[in-house]
Amino acid sequence: MRHLFALMVLPFAIQGCAGPRPKPIPELNGLLRQSVSGRREPVLSQRWLVSLSQRGGRERVELIDLNSRRPVPLPGLNRADALPISVSLSADGERLAVVQQREERTELVLYRRNVGTLQRLPLEPPGVPRAVSLNGNGRRLAVQVSRGGRWDIDLIRLP
Amino acid sequence: MLLAASLLGCTGRVERAGDAWLNRSQQDPALSGDGRLLAMISELRGRPTVLLRNENGSIQPVPQLRRHQPHSSPSLSWNGRYLALITQRGQRRLAIVLDRLNGRLHPLPLPGGRDPIRLSLAPDARKLALQVADQGQWRVEVLDLSEMLEPDRAAGAALTTPAIEESP
Repeated sequence: MRHLFALMVLPFAIQGCAGPRPKPIPELNGLLRQSVSGRREPVLSQRWLVSLSQRGGRERVELIDLNSRRPVPLPGLNRADALPISVSLSADGERLAVVQQREERTELVLYRRNVGTLQRLPLEPPGVPRAVSLNGNGRRLAVQVSRGGRWDIDLIRLP
Repeated sequence: MLLAASLLGCTGRVERAGDAWLNRSQQDPALSGDGRLLAMISELRGRPTVLLRNENGSIQPVPQLRRHQPHSSPSLSWNGRYLALITQRGQRRLAIVLDRLNGRLHPLPLPGGRDPIRLSLAPDARKLALQVADQGQWRVEVLDLSEMLEPDRAAGAALTTPAIEESP
């Protein structure tokens, strides 16, 4: 009888020890699978998810509003001759920093969504950028740069 | 010389994050939401290991993560309370979240035994996005962590009373 009681209680005890678990968000995850053949390099802010999505054999920066669950337009960012490598965004989703390949060179650019401008950020001393991270207000940027055969990280304060 | 600073035209000021005197390579930068903390991956005894750099330039290891290298894809919450990253456990990759306030590690095993490739923690630590391989394609999946972790919000974001205005 005691063994039977232990067998009945054990599953609940294990579940209790495990504590709260991360929960998938099926509706959102289903949406993220739709209409793209691949998606990588995700970056989250509270309301926004930016990633590199592949459609028709071409990769582009895609910003999704997690409230409306819809992609938002990024006019002027995804140029036909540019291949994005890394992306990051500010907490309000207004600033996107992108490392992209264009005309056989790799460059770091800052996209301001409210005005739709794309600004190239030169690296000093020169180097080849690889990965980028923006802070919450989009005024500080960390970028991984290849110089002389080693990886550095530059911190840039933006106006 | 810890920081080599120079002016970057009209675009902003640039400085090196690395500890040049140790001559280490740094990769995978991730700023906290408030911009005061930088997580990065550097080689320690030949093993890619996460390090944190404070605003004053000092570099600190993360004692709770001395094992389970290689580390990759670090991500910080707004005030840097939580550090999420990908670690190695045996033959598998495992996403974990470290609560730097109490040193507690939260492993995040993926359903189906899949391995995480990249991750991103939302600044308030309520959600985590993971890049995984699924049937030969890269996919992104979002997990809700709101029942696991206390939020880490920007200073003042959780205030419910208005700030007192100074009289002129």
